[in-house]
Amino acid sequence: MLFGTLGWRPQSLLPSIRSTSHLDRVAFYHSDHAKSRDARAKVVEFCRGLGVPCTAVEVSDAYDLLQVAGQIRADVRKEKSAGMDLRFNIAGGTRLMSSAALLVCILEGIPATYVHDETYRELALPLLRMTYGEGLTRKQREVLAFLVKNREKSFSETALARALGVHKATMNHHLRKLESMGTIERQADPADGRRLVIVPASGIELLLG
Amino acid sequence: MDAGALIATIGFDDKHVLPSLRQLPYDRLLLVGGRDSFRSPAFRRLRSFEPSLQSVRVNPFDFGNCLRAIENVVEREREKGPVRISATGGTKILTTAAILAAFHEGVEAWYCDPDPIRLPILRGVRITADFSPAEVFIAQRLRRSTPLTNLIPLMMSGGFARRTILTAVRSLVTKGLFESAIESGRATVRPTPRLGLVRPHIRLEPGKA
Repeated sequence: MLFGTLGWRPQSLLPSIRSTSHLDRVAFYHSDHAKSRDARAKVVEFCRGLGVPCTAVEVSDAYDLLQVAGQIRADVRKEKSAGMDLRFNIAGGTRLMSSAALLVCILEGIPATYVHDETYRELALPLLRMTYGEGLTRKQREVLAFLVKNREKSFSETALARALGVHKATMNHHLRKLESMGTIERQADPADGRRLVIVPASGIELLLG
Repeated sequence: MDAGALIATIGFDDKHVLPSLRQLPYDRLLLVGGRDSFRSPAFRRLRSFEPSLQSVRVNPFDFGNCLRAIENVVEREREKGPVRISATGGTKILTTAAILAAFHEGVEAWYCDPDPIRLPILRGVRITADFSPAEVFIAQRLRRSTPLTNLIPLMMSGGFARRTILTAVRSLVTKGLFESAIESGRATVRPTPRLGLVRPHIRLEPGKA
């Protein structure tokens, strides 16, 4: 299955459709711009001509990196869990859509390609087929997932240890490691300046999937 | 306290660079862009208020060139202090390369357009961190198609067990860095093109003494 991002020019996606052997399906993301919709119509027509099912997804805000990445990632994970062999063309769309697609490819370990703007030559990006989030240990993921889920609440280190049922020294060890990797921050509690609360970094939910 | 280096990608205008300069701390500023970017009025304006900025010239339409240049700059700057990347301005190829370089090198990366969004990169964790010594050995030495019957004695002379070698080969194939095939009736492994770009990063991380 081929995923892609599409901008105003269908030529950024068509070379990948042509070069993918045994293509079962195409899914691509585009913005709500009129020129992008025109390009969508051309890609859909091309796929119809080849007899390949095609899904076009219009992203609600092509300038919201985290939202676009979250949407793409959810779709990619669904297909990945169904055992599909995936490939992603990240050439089209806004720079932000391309960046979002690249993030998903790195995090999920999906092969990504880029089509040159002038030559339309396809270029494979040097990504590893490995899940990036596995760089975290199970416990670190658990702590992060809890913090992301309870983002609106504030937890001190001790409260977090209590909530997750671990000793506060153990929690301190996990938090120091997470802080060194930049996934959490310690901030002063606005209600009590003496207390430090643990806050997950923005966009870290992408790491957890 | 050393605020470190900010490596920012730049195109023809400064509207994507200025939010990064306003919102991300830095002591040293390095701009990465094409030849024409450094001849633009935007660059002259930036230089007038930041005379110590360094420029790193790349071909912004050559992905490999951009990736290598940014990685070299990161490598050099991290010896002096913390490094941040702003992958906001410039061509899509340049920003894609900047994001990928940040993942490869385990440095913070931001997208500021105009609000800063931190990309989910684990600081200090290189993408190749979880390569086993046997995988590093194979990835560094194997440059062409090699029969397993030749590879195994070579590796065993390096002190690896047969089972370790086979596990490493399977892992490298899964990561998309090697392909296995039958050539002239013999099982062989050969490097894929992506290994060439990833190879400089595959090295043993310092462990416990």
